[in-house]
Amino acid sequence: MGSKLYFASPAGRLEDHEILLKFQDPASRNLAFNQLVRKYQSKVYWHVRKMVIDHDDADDLTQDVFIKVWKHLENFRQDAQLFTWIYRIATNECLNFLSSKRRKFLLPLTDVGAELAAKIEADPALAGDEIELKLQQAILRLPDKQRLVFNLRYYDEMPYEQMAEVTGTSVGALKASYHHAVKKVEEYVTRHTAD
Amino acid sequence: MKPPFKLDAHPRRPRPLLSEPPAGYFDQLPLRVMARLPHPDASEATAVWRWLSQLSPALRTSLASVAVLGGFVVSFYLSGPPAVRHFAAPTASLNAVSHAELVGYLLTSGAQVESADLAVLTAAHPSITQGFMEATDAELTEVLDAQPSEDLTYL
Repeated sequence: MGSKLYFASPAGRLEDHEILLKFQDPASRNLAFNQLVRKYQSKVYWHVRKMVIDHDDADDLTQDVFIKVWKHLENFRQDAQLFTWIYRIATNECLNFLSSKRRKFLLPLTDVGAELAAKIEADPALAGDEIELKLQQAILRLPDKQRLVFNLRYYDEMPYEQMAEVTGTSVGALKASYHHAVKKVEEYVTRHTAD
Repeated sequence: MKPPFKLDAHPRRPRPLLSEPPAGYFDQLPLRVMARLPHPDASEATAVWRWLSQLSPALRTSLASVAVLGGFVVSFYLSGPPAVRHFAAPTASLNAVSHAELVGYLLTSGAQVESADLAVLTAAHPSITQGFMEATDAELTEVLDAQPSEDLTYL
């Protein structure tokens, strides 16, 4: 299952508890944090990128996420797994970013979805793949939180229990949200693809 | 009729088909993040004020009001004494000048000093004339006797 991928530590990299231990010591704090960033940067970046689509936005937000991790890591109580905790910070950053963007430009939900869909249409990686393009457009039309649930479950294959920790939502509500998201996506792609 | 799209039948990818970040992006990202970390001095400075952020908004507003009022009180208090000192200073410096020098200044600076002024001064300080009128009692009596009788009535 995909969840095993989350906590597998590539050779030569520190385990989470080693990073946290070294972070407590001021002499090795920077080294430990550098290891933490190298270990999780890719996962955080792609988690954010799936939500905001644009690389520059994802770059800014990824850096902001790690700055917040640095500020609060000292108070991390370790009652959750480190990556779950980082994922939660990243998730909140994404939702706040999309929400503030909507407030800033007084955009309704659908317009932000349309803006993201336009960005994804312009992405050369999707050129020529109509089904994939329609699938992405369908996903981008989901409300932010439902899209987050969809991404965590469909792409990251995260277990519902872990998703509950990241989103602060019950497992039952997450299952229902994902089920509805899948239905909406399937209907959209069916309706918008050529015969 | 076209078959409905089924997500389970679609090949699953680990992430959407988006363009990759620029080459070397993940090599540079840790350096950029490390460069943005708060400076230790800055974090110490913020730690000093961290207690403020822990107060409730109402308490913070009250504290700000008290600080502003306190500022007014302190500025009012500090602005009072110098005004008093401003008026007291010339008197203090005049006290340091001897009477003889004062009278000498008044007589030589062209100031209008009436005989009556000198009479008041000599009445208060009988010996003050000794400093600037180098005359004996006999000489003074002689001069006074030589004055017209109507002038004498004013002395």
